Amino acid sequence: MQGNIVLILPVLFLAAMGIAVLTGKKLRTSRRRLIGTAAVSLGGGAVLTMAALASGKAGLKLWQLTENTAIEFRVDQVSVIFAGLTAAMWLLVGVYSFKYMTHEKNEHQFLGWYLVTFGVLIGLDFAANLITFYIMYELMSLVSLPLVLHERTKEAVMAGLKYLFYSMAGAFTALFGIFFLTTVCPNLDFTPGGIFSEGMLSGGSFTESMLSKGILSGGSFTESILSEGISVGGLFSDGTNLILIAAFCILIGFGVKAGMFPFHGWLPTAHPAAPAPASAVLSGVIAKSGVLGIIRVVYFIIGPDMIRGTWVQNVWILLSLITVFMGSMLAYREPVLKKRLAYSTVSQISYILFGLSILQPIGFAGALSHVVFHSLIKNALFLAAGAIIFTTGWTRVEQMRGLGRIMPKMLTVYTIVSLGLIGIPPLSGFVSKWYLAQGALASGTGIWSWLGPVVLLVSALLTAGYLLPLTIQGFFPGADFNVEEIRLRNPDEKRNSNEKRNLNEKRSLNEEKNPDEKEPSALMLVPAALMAGATLLFGCFPGPLFKLLEELAAMIF
Amino acid sequence: MMEYGEFVLPGFCGPPGIHLCLDGFRLIYVLMAVFMWAVSGVFSRKYMAHYEKKGRFYLFFWLTFLATLGVFLSADLYTTFIFFEIMSFTSYVWVAFDERKESLRAAETYLAVAVIGGLMMLMGLFLLYHLLGTLEMDKLHQAALKVADKRQLYLAGGLLLFGFGAKAGCFPLHIWLPKAHPVAPAPASALLSGILTKSGIFGIIVISCQIFTADIFAGDGSWGFLIAVLGTITMFWGAFLALFSIDLKKTLACSSVSQIGFILVGIGMYGLLSAAGENPSIAARGTFLHMVNHSLFKLVLFLCAGAVFMKLHQLDLNEIRGFGRKKPVLKFCFLMGALGITGVPFWSGYVSKTLLHEGIVEYQMILAEQNMPSELLSGSAAGIMAWIGNPAVWKAAEWIFLLSGGITAAYMLKLFVAVFVEKNPKRQSEFDAMKMSGTAVILIPAVFLPVLGSLPSVTMDRLADLGQSFFRAEEMEHAVDYFSMVNLKGSLISLFIGLILYFVLVRGLLMKENRYEDRLPRWFDLENSVYRPILQVFLPNLFGLLCRILDSLTDGLILLARKTTHRQLKEKVYVNEENKAAVIIGGFIDGWHLLLFKFRGGSKKGLKAPKSCIPELKQEERLFLLVGKMVDESFSFGLLLFTIGLCATLGYLLFAFLV
Repeated sequence: MQGNIVLILPVLFLAAMGIAVLTGKKLRTSRRRLIGTAAVSLGGGAVLTMAALASGKAGLKLWQLTENTAIEFRVDQVSVIFAGLTAAMWLLVGVYSFKYMTHEKNEHQFLGWYLVTFGVLIGLDFAANLITFYIMYELMSLVSLPLVLHERTKEAVMAGLKYLFYSMAGAFTALFGIFFLTTVCPNLDFTPGGIFSEGMLSGGSFTESMLSKGILSGGSFTESILSEGISVGGLFSDGTNLILIAAFCILIGFGVKAGMFPFHGWLPTAHPAAPAPASAVLSGVIAKSGVLGIIRVVYFIIGPDMIRGTWVQNVWILLSLITVFMGSMLAYREPVLKKRLAYSTVSQISYILFGLSILQPIGFAGALSHVVFHSLIKNALFLAAGAIIFTTGWTRVEQMRGLGRIMPKMLTVYTIVSLGLIGIPPLSGFVSKWYLAQGALASGTGIWSWLGPVVLLVSALLTAGYLLPLTIQGFFPGADFNVEEIRLRNPDEKRNSNEKRNLNEKRSLNEEKNPDEKEPSALMLVPAALMAGATLLFGCFPGPLFKLLEELAAMIF
Repeated sequence: MMEYGEFVLPGFCGPPGIHLCLDGFRLIYVLMAVFMWAVSGVFSRKYMAHYEKKGRFYLFFWLTFLATLGVFLSADLYTTFIFFEIMSFTSYVWVAFDERKESLRAAETYLAVAVIGGLMMLMGLFLLYHLLGTLEMDKLHQAALKVADKRQLYLAGGLLLFGFGAKAGCFPLHIWLPKAHPVAPAPASALLSGILTKSGIFGIIVISCQIFTADIFAGDGSWGFLIAVLGTITMFWGAFLALFSIDLKKTLACSSVSQIGFILVGIGMYGLLSAAGENPSIAARGTFLHMVNHSLFKLVLFLCAGAVFMKLHQLDLNEIRGFGRKKPVLKFCFLMGALGITGVPFWSGYVSKTLLHEGIVEYQMILAEQNMPSELLSGSAAGIMAWIGNPAVWKAAEWIFLLSGGITAAYMLKLFVAVFVEKNPKRQSEFDAMKMSGTAVILIPAVFLPVLGSLPSVTMDRLADLGQSFFRAEEMEHAVDYFSMVNLKGSLISLFIGLILYFVLVRGLLMKENRYEDRLPRWFDLENSVYRPILQVFLPNLFGLLCRILDSLTDGLILLARKTTHRQLKEKVYVNEENKAAVIIGGFIDGWHLLLFKFRGGSKKGLKAPKSCIPELKQEERLFLLVGKMVDESFSFGLLLFTIGLCATLGYLLFAFLV
């Protein structure tokens, strides 16, 4: 082990604290102690993460696996964005969950796995090569599973399994691609702009140049194929094609986590089943790790130049645009709020993927900024949805008429972030959309360069269509609306009776405390409000963030 | 541009940043906004007194004020867009304010038009920024000169026109006005119609005067023609709808559509005149003055309507008939507004309409002077040029202009007579006893109208001088003599048409048993018969289905695999021990049944899954074997076999012998 030891500290600390919360029986004796430990761990984890981010560029090599692969961590600009985002979101959602999880059983299990997942995600963000990244990625899928199936209902368990199977299938597809890559790459360290430099591409056939530099020496896959004269339809005769296939596998594989069509199916199943804080981070942060994987492979291993103009790019753009439209359309037609938000995530993450797929600096900056903005917005939306479930038990949008009368503050927060997601200035979603569209128009990808922005705008229209009805019905329930009626409204009949009883108990407790006010407590409201505030702030002053992103883009392109 | 001040905030809300500036045009419109908000603000103290949730109204009232100021001060289109979107969303609350069913529906329409318009505009801005690299209004013109592919400019401009036109109420996107105005509180209607629609016009003027100019398009007047055509349709259609309406505020709303049409015609004529190489300042001045006038008219008229609604809570002409007979202040204000909007000489509307009319006439004269080639006159020239260059088209346009003016006179007369002259058959004494209060503030804008109209060279020409640099228009070569016979003639023709229409159509056809009747068929409503079915039913269902198929692709494949090749067996598995035949055959039959069952969608219909037939077959086989054994062991079976063998031998011998 050598190098900057600070990098591993948040990972170890959070994992240790998580395991302590999960196993330590003494911690469970009083709720105060449990929450205190979790709060300290979250805060400590966030501080350690920040310390690690500030600790400079020195890496940390844990151990050497083979001659050219090692378990290694390092911090670069991408890590700064992703880890900073993860820490901030984890902290805010964690605070929210202290209140929210009171109506779920087995709080310690949730908090424990929540902390472990935090640690693993930080490790994922710090990974310095593809092997480390892959290990952390698989680990993340596993440790986030308990968050999904927390409720232990049949529905939740099935959803959890679906999440697991999709994640595994995706990871294995990616692994397949990584195997391909290892045959042609000298190593898999993340290098801005890719491992293959310009010179290698320009000098005649790619494979030849590789051979001449001794990279593909003795016994490598490509060479053996070449020497034995096997021509698989010319597909493998050139190393470039091999790399493209590898890239495609990895794209699809990591795309599963990012909810890219056709493997988005786990999102709408897992989100409604998971508790609200889990849905929030699942959508806002964990699904972004698929995006991180794609960024790492395309921009830090293979390099955008290798993919530009090939079938891989075209298929990638096509899939992301289909996802953008499909997600929005299905969200528009979905009555259950959390499922609607899940489809919305499907659509919005593909905004990011589209921005990445056009392989253009402005689009790249737009995509990364949308990672941040979407995360803020979607977390706040899920927190709002959770607060509604927590206080009223309503899950379907049509039940929520008149919501503004009982929780105006939460609905205001919801409205602000909704407008942000639609892309109404001066909120942040508008800025990222502007960059994405300008990037697309400047990308020179033929039909995609204008079709992309059109699809984004149609999707924005649908976004308005699926987010605003809640605001409108909430604040404008109609002149004949009776506030008393809202109290008699039953929670969703479909929810299982056990949970309903819990809810009713909870509700009667709430009403005893303050019969008129149903506004969620500050623990739930403030995190969501902070996210909404950040949405507004980033929308008004996006300069600093984009300066960072443009520096990064300059390094890559 | 002549500027009084500037404010730049780079990087705010995206790379182009915020850029505000103040020039003559903007100064006037900022003052207009302040004035209008002040008047409606004062009026709404009285008007809103009985509503709950006044706080909500006032919050969005002032938020919209700020956003509107932002739009009119903006010096680049990016800034315009930012404030424009804020304005659209904050003014939504006005329309939905009282939460009645029709208000909410109208608000929905308003929001849909605003959002769709906003997105179209955004696409236009994407393209424009990509093409020009700037959205600064001052630099647009220079940048557009360098663009080689003019079609892309048309595309971007068309999208922007859609967006701004939606807000302005240009046909066919005018649908929100007749819905939103009647349901919004009166001060809000006054502002929606008086100034929010003008923000759309503001945008259209910017793109028309900075991008689609004569020097960039080398005298191609297609853009001006497009706007002139849209304007003409809007002008006529709005007036037509207003004539048939029997709702006070709806009539005023349709009238707004019509007046916006007049303004658009002015912009179109500006484009055409400059494309023909003439000084377009007459059209520019007409456009600008009509904007200012219309803001004032609608302020006065909608507040008057508000005063009626405040007392009666009704707007149907048959119900409110005779309300204003004994209310001199209200009557005076409404009369001023009506005379103004009709374009009666000595009221301000006359001045701006005269200029607009002059614009059309001037273009006709240019066409006549230029002696168009004969193929243009005969209409054999290809496409749009034949229309632009054909004097007959412009003669027709002039007549539509005058006719629309006439219809304006007819419907304003209809309103005035109904509310202020006729007696109410039932409640007249009750009406006369009602005391008006809070209406005095309407006098302020109402007095402006005759003052402006009587002294045009002192007042209105000065305003136009301030505003015209925004249009990049040059100084007028000579002052217009507003009260010359030529100019009076146009107005008088309109008034004459108006009187005929009123007495023949309104009093004749549109009244039945002394009641005003709405004779427009239901399907005439573009929104309900076209837009809503397409946008709410057809497209969502079509694409929803497609997306549902895409959505269930992967899950469906997994499900298919689980039901077929990777089936999870729930039933008892029959092991292939002794009754081999039964298990094999039964397995096939079972599979076939299951397939049929799945194919018919049995599980969805709640039918029971078919039972396995293996046990039955096993029974059969066991019986079969038993019988076989018994037969096997009997003597007669041995005899039978012997006989068969004998027959076979004989048969073979016979066969061998014969062959």
